[in-house]
Amino acid sequence: MKKIKIDILSRVEGHGGILVTIDGNRVEEVKVNIYEGPRLIEQLLIGKDYKECLNIVPRICAICTLSHRYASIRALERALGVSVKKKVLLMRDLMLLGEIIESNALHVFVLALPDFFGFPSITEMLQEHREIIMTGLKIKEFGNLVMKTTSARMIHGENPIIGGFGKYPLNKELNEIKRKANELVPMAVNAVEFLSSVKVPNFCEGKEKITFMCLNSGEEFGFVGDTVLISRGEERNVDEYENLTNERVVSHSYAKRCTYKEKTFTVGAIARVNLLGERLKGESFKYFKKMYNSRWEKNPLFNSYAQLLEILFVLEKIPSLIDEIKRFKNPEIEIPEKVSGRATGAVEAPRGTLYHHYDLENGIIIKAYIITPTDQNLDEMERFLRIAAENLLKKSKKDIDSKLEMVVRAYDPCISCSAHLVKVVHK
Amino acid sequence: MKKKIGIYGFTGCAGDQLTIIHSEDKLLTFFDKAEIVSFSMAKSNNKECELDIAFIEGSITTEEQRKRIIEIRERTNILVPMGACACFGGIQSMKLGDGKYKERYEKVYGKKKITIDTTFESQPINAFVKVDFCIPGCPISARQFFSVFTKLINDFRPVLYSFPVCTECKWHENLCLLIEKNLPCLGPITRAGCGAICLDHSIPCVGCWGPVDEANVAYEFKLLIEQGFSPEAIIKKFRMFGGKVSQKLVKNLIGKYV
Repeated sequence: MKKIKIDILSRVEGHGGILVTIDGNRVEEVKVNIYEGPRLIEQLLIGKDYKECLNIVPRICAICTLSHRYASIRALERALGVSVKKKVLLMRDLMLLGEIIESNALHVFVLALPDFFGFPSITEMLQEHREIIMTGLKIKEFGNLVMKTTSARMIHGENPIIGGFGKYPLNKELNEIKRKANELVPMAVNAVEFLSSVKVPNFCEGKEKITFMCLNSGEEFGFVGDTVLISRGEERNVDEYENLTNERVVSHSYAKRCTYKEKTFTVGAIARVNLLGERLKGESFKYFKKMYNSRWEKNPLFNSYAQLLEILFVLEKIPSLIDEIKRFKNPEIEIPEKVSGRATGAVEAPRGTLYHHYDLENGIIIKAYIITPTDQNLDEMERFLRIAAENLLKKSKKDIDSKLEMVVRAYDPCISCSAHLVKVVHK
Repeated sequence: MKKKIGIYGFTGCAGDQLTIIHSEDKLLTFFDKAEIVSFSMAKSNNKECELDIAFIEGSITTEEQRKRIIEIRERTNILVPMGACACFGGIQSMKLGDGKYKERYEKVYGKKKITIDTTFESQPINAFVKVDFCIPGCPISARQFFSVFTKLINDFRPVLYSFPVCTECKWHENLCLLIEKNLPCLGPITRAGCGAICLDHSIPCVGCWGPVDEANVAYEFKLLIEQGFSPEAIIKKFRMFGGKVSQKLVKNLIGKYV
């Protein structure tokens, strides 16, 4: 019996490992272990003033800090009957786009790219492919700028609050973002053009179509909505988050697991592009039409390409969004009408649908429930690790470890990992 | 000879390591002046050897982490916790010592046993090992990190801000949120270094950098009572980020002042 064990995953946000047990040519067991230390955040929120919730939940994750803040704001405002002005909604869209593009660029260009070109990391890739890596880093830096301008800091900015923003950016700052976005579009097009020529391996392609889930963003492609679209035309309200995710605890992970109708499902960029791709516009739509095919429905490795299309969409979207933001005056902060209520709010974080639910009584949180995208993807990751291991065992057993890591990394989990700390343990 | 550096993450959001990673331009210049032997969030091929300096993010919440921080300390000359979690315990230590950790744990994970590790209530790094300096922040400021980094690799003693956010805010000539706007701003009792960024945005300070040395907690407490907050709500507010240090600071407030 052979065990493939990845102990400490490097280039990751968080702490995780993989254990694949192989008996001859048969895959016996696949486990994605999450040993990130628990913080029990939901329990810490109990008894807190609802305003303080926004100081705590963004700290769940430094990469998705604004997604947590936004999902929390949506839930709290719904619960307390706050409706904000158009400018506030547009500014929130802008901040979320900043986070999506920053996180997607980090994953595509820094973490996943070396896999597709067969390099151990971007440092080794830099000599041969400097231009594309520099493009990626510029896009990432741009995302950081958008996050900083809208939220006040690159990480854990406190500017977006219930009812509005503490302060609005100056037109000068918004114009700078617009200028940079326009400048980056042709560079991103080149990157898409270049990367679309790379062949996506089929070792982790399933036979059946994946069940995808993402928020229904309305007529246009986007990252905010009140209902969840599910493959094969199903649509459910975010209030049904418990039935949509069915969280459960497993013994090898401090992250919970999710299924829908007892089946695993996928969230994230690949889900969004599969379900909403027809709603893309401009260059991103052009490349969607050019690149998309039925393999995207069966192979998680296409997630990086979906992220790339989203990068292009965001860069093209931001200039018009800024023009719209500038048309409105800075509104006053809206004060809640109620002090009690309960509601769910969701946004698409870079890695997929993020749900926040709160029950409030006299302004105090009495129940809190948060479901993160990585939780939702973990079962699916194990399923595809098994598919990949079975396919790889039929062929050569060379490189099996690094290929399995590639599968996990495709999901861009908060435990996305590198190819260098694999341990093969012979029993 | 170049100093050997290790950068490690324990329980937290990874925002301090990410702050370092976000400083791409500086990163290459500064890191060239030392040998970064281990930084698993940012690079591969990490070596675990004797270190001149270790920077530690996150608090300790599991038995494996406890063993690992002791092991890192044993092979490190200068050990520097960075960020509110490592320095004080962070948000996950806000209810430290209330005796209800097990109850909270079971509310999240139920009774099902998770076998990969055993957990306990979050504690800062200095609860387990000796620490040499602390870089506070939630997240840390890149500027302060690189200032400490540069001093340490050149064998100088780093200088950390020892005044409150309130001072930084005054430099920016902001209208006082605490006195003039009647908002619960923790600027006077919170350690500076963030650049009073929230206050510049008319958002009251929530104390994310932890308590400043010799913080006048009693007077801040009195001001917030006057604003109409209950003693319990104020104590919860004071304890949001400061973990173990805040736990001590608020200890006698209610008995003494209410």
